[in-house]
Amino acid sequence: MTRRFLFLAIYAWFSVACWPQPASPAPQATSSQQATSGATTGVQTQNGNANGPEIDLPLQPKSVRFAVIGDSGTGDRAQYDVAQQMDTYHDKVGFNFVIMLGDNIYGGHLPNDFTKKFEIPYKSLLDAGVKFYAALGNHDDPSQERLYKPFNMNGERYYTFKKGDVEFFVLDSNYMDPTQLDWLDQSLQGSKAKWKICYFHHPLFSDGKHHGADVDLRAQLLPLFQRYGVNVVFSGHEHVYERMKPEDNIYYFVLGNSGQLMRHDFRTTKDMERSFDSDRSFMLVEIAGDKLYYQTVARNGETVDSGSVEHQSQSTSAAAH
Amino acid sequence: MSVYDHREHKVTRRNFCPALSCVGACVFVVAAGLLGMSQGFSPAPARERQIVNDFGARVTRYLELRKNEAGTPPKPTNSPKKLADSREQMAAKLRAARADAKQGDIFTPEIAEYFRHQIAAMLNGPHGARIRASLRHAEPVQGMPLQVNQTYPNGVPLQSMPPTLLLNLPRLPKELEYRIVGHDLVLHDITANIVVDFVPNAIPPS
Repeated sequence: MTRRFLFLAIYAWFSVACWPQPASPAPQATSSQQATSGATTGVQTQNGNANGPEIDLPLQPKSVRFAVIGDSGTGDRAQYDVAQQMDTYHDKVGFNFVIMLGDNIYGGHLPNDFTKKFEIPYKSLLDAGVKFYAALGNHDDPSQERLYKPFNMNGERYYTFKKGDVEFFVLDSNYMDPTQLDWLDQSLQGSKAKWKICYFHHPLFSDGKHHGADVDLRAQLLPLFQRYGVNVVFSGHEHVYERMKPEDNIYYFVLGNSGQLMRHDFRTTKDMERSFDSDRSFMLVEIAGDKLYYQTVARNGETVDSGSVEHQSQSTSAAAH
Repeated sequence: MSVYDHREHKVTRRNFCPALSCVGACVFVVAAGLLGMSQGFSPAPARERQIVNDFGARVTRYLELRKNEAGTPPKPTNSPKKLADSREQMAAKLRAARADAKQGDIFTPEIAEYFRHQIAAMLNGPHGARIRASLRHAEPVQGMPLQVNQTYPNGVPLQSMPPTLLLNLPRLPKELEYRIVGHDLVLHDITANIVVDFVPNAIPPS
């Protein structure tokens, strides 16, 4: 009896040990319902790829490539982890500028705050010649940040800059006064760029519970965006990642979790296509011809969303991978 | 009749039947009178213009003093320390030049009442709900006592301003901005980061 039991036990162990194991499920793009990337510790895991980070961008010659961060300037470990991932991806993607969606420096704005919350975490990128173009958030200090050279604001609260056939319109959504609206009207009207990208802190569309969309700001900006054919809008403020369904043929991304995080922060509506609220993230964007490709990367290096959108003159549909 | 359309950013002309216009004008006069009685303050347009002009003149005088006493604003630099130092120097010069400044120097009682009336009208108007929602989303700053010439505290966020509110207040030069702290409307010098003046209880409780 004992020998028979021993035999069965050995057989059972052998069967379990030698049976082929099912492959681990591949990391998938995360929705609000399945926001379980498990990215919680800030270790530099590499998405299961020994050859380096997974790149979901075509990396075409002469394309415009940039990274996006929002609500980043906490100075804590999470911001540093995201910055390290950005550095890792920079080596592969070769983006040469970063757009900042506001709340670049949280809390105090003493000289060491700029060091701790910007210069140290992004040192490798700054040393590699990557330029940062900042928009102001409600936690930013306009009297200092617009004059801080590494933010490339040239002393202005709102400004434009061009890269290839892309023009960026950087707005101060904290203070959207008539003067700024007039300036935006004229700047958009005069732009000859193929791609017009606006970015600012407060989202016009968001399913976030904490702040949500700024409806009053939307009432002023949306008519201008529609009239002058703005293609893509990036915002922060809500401490999550969201890709919204296109509204009036304009694509909206919210990225407010490059330092801060508001876990489980979504209402369930039909306006959202993809979201991520279980850890920090940043975006990589590549614009080549008529397509804009995006890849959203979590703090642990996992890709949580990727896809492409067609220039609105070519198509009205977004093709998510 | 000329109407400023904020969405279109242009003045449009609308033609009315003269008879209807007369009736409309009568109704408007009676309604305006009633509104004035109910709200306690409804300056006639000419008087309103005078108040706004008076406010503009006071703002201009502040900027002249600022230019004469505090010099030109700093240029962009890589050094946050230089930025902090130059801002503090500018604020100190302005404080010295306006040592006797007090609440009400720019927002005189009449100007302050005009601002309260404008803000109340907007909050009670057709866009009131979305303006209040915007104020709520803007991480309101509460419990900060205000004083003319004080530095806006380091680390306290500046509450975002609803655009519709700004569209209906007198325009400011780029050196200055309106901000809300609690229920007060602040005139804030952006570069020097000081409170130039403020209107107490400008925002009625919701």
